[in-house]
Amino acid sequence: MSEKIKILYVDDEPENLLGFKASFRFEYQILTAVNIPQALNCLDNHPDIKIVFCDQRMPVRNGVEFFEEIRISHPLPIRILITAYTDVESIIDAINRGNIFRYVKKPWNEADIISAIDEAYKYYMTNSMLIVKNEELEKAYTELNKFAYSVSHDIRGPLSGILGAINIAREIEDLDEMKEMLFLMEKSLKKLDTYIISMHDYYSIQRGELKITDIDFHKLVDELKTIYMVPAKTIGVTFNVDIKQAETFRSDEIPLMLILNNLVSNAFKYQDQHKKNKSVDVMISVENNLATIYVKDTGIGILGNHIGEIFNLFYRANYQEVGSGFGLYNVKNALLKLNGQIEVTSVMDQGTTFRVTIPSI
Amino acid sequence: MNISFILIDDSELDCFIAKKIIEQTIKPSSIKVFRNAKPALETIREKTADIGQIVVILLDLHMPLMSGFQFVEEFEKLPVEIQEKYKIIILSSTRNKNDIFRVLNYKNVSHFQEKPLTRENLLTMVDSLKKDVS
Repeated sequence: MSEKIKILYVDDEPENLLGFKASFRFEYQILTAVNIPQALNCLDNHPDIKIVFCDQRMPVRNGVEFFEEIRISHPLPIRILITAYTDVESIIDAINRGNIFRYVKKPWNEADIISAIDEAYKYYMTNSMLIVKNEELEKAYTELNKFAYSVSHDIRGPLSGILGAINIAREIEDLDEMKEMLFLMEKSLKKLDTYIISMHDYYSIQRGELKITDIDFHKLVDELKTIYMVPAKTIGVTFNVDIKQAETFRSDEIPLMLILNNLVSNAFKYQDQHKKNKSVDVMISVENNLATIYVKDTGIGILGNHIGEIFNLFYRANYQEVGSGFGLYNVKNALLKLNGQIEVTSVMDQGTTFRVTIPSI
Repeated sequence: MNISFILIDDSELDCFIAKKIIEQTIKPSSIKVFRNAKPALETIREKTADIGQIVVILLDLHMPLMSGFQFVEEFEKLPVEIQEKYKIIILSSTRNKNDIFRVLNYKNVSHFQEKPLTRENLLTMVDSLKKDVS
């Protein structure tokens, strides 16, 4: 255990508190309170308290009443009652109303307390792990719902389009018309393919562990160049890159590449076809263990009221059918893994700039 | 009876198919295609259809910027005399019961047609529309 377990001990007799602290302060981090308001205050200030011991016999409100209250207001810490009483009534009360984990008889001996702490700590860890797992499950479930919903549109949509096209192909005599339709069918299939690749990306970001290596941004950007140089030329977009890296940078190459690739791909995708000087600029600088990446385009821009939502799963801010609503969501998740940040500024009809910062790991 | 069409779908291929099917099957007086629902709504708002003509709106549901649902919501805010000139038919690949049920609840939506559009289902739709009108 790297950090000492934080324990709160509540008792109205200061000498008991002192005694408890003296016995256990080397093993654990002990906080004490002489009354309930002080104890509540302490719980508020230390949300990482894992175990609360409380004496049953206290003025104003007793231990059970205190536990009854914090069971609702501070449900995480494990509650242990210390009592000199051995009457069944108060024990039943403590279990039923205070929902205590254990009770320790007064006067206590060290072994009892240590074993109670060990057990309570295990219980606490299991509980908090369960909470984390539950949250993950809930998130996964919500996303699964979104997937199921999108399947009919993003997978079935292109397929029903192709099917419809095959149906009418039988009636089409004109060769040019046929070619036009084949071109549209191809576009539809490519979109479906992109969707499936993105779905795979999504999965690998969510589940994969980080593999940290030395990153050479020159090498990464060379890869981007091989992907985008030719299409850039055919649509008349200038592709500029500028890299300043004099120091080592450590990160996971796969999510890093996914971020770069998605941003650059968007920068090309959302160009304004009618504009004369079209460009995509990638600027990367690594300084003081921080990589700053700019991806700047001269494209159509994003409407102000959509900008807050572009990182949401399946959100699309443009009616061109090239988008899958996956890309920026994957970027956001990849950045979460790498501890990075992203900002976007956009001017309609002028272009969009993404600024990404990622710390070296 | 004269029927004209307004197609609203973000998918280029689906627009192409629907347009072809309509042209091959019935001789419409016009077909307008919109890849984005917003300008379609503007056009409808500004230019009312000629008297004695039915305008069928074939509407996709899942579209970016303005979905089919949002389109119908906005459409129902238009003056009644404009609304009366149009019949909305949903053309979508969705299988989601909630979506279908929800969209059929709008008073201006007369039919739900699963994609892809074929000659047969287009003819059935048009026949039932003609019956509705007369």
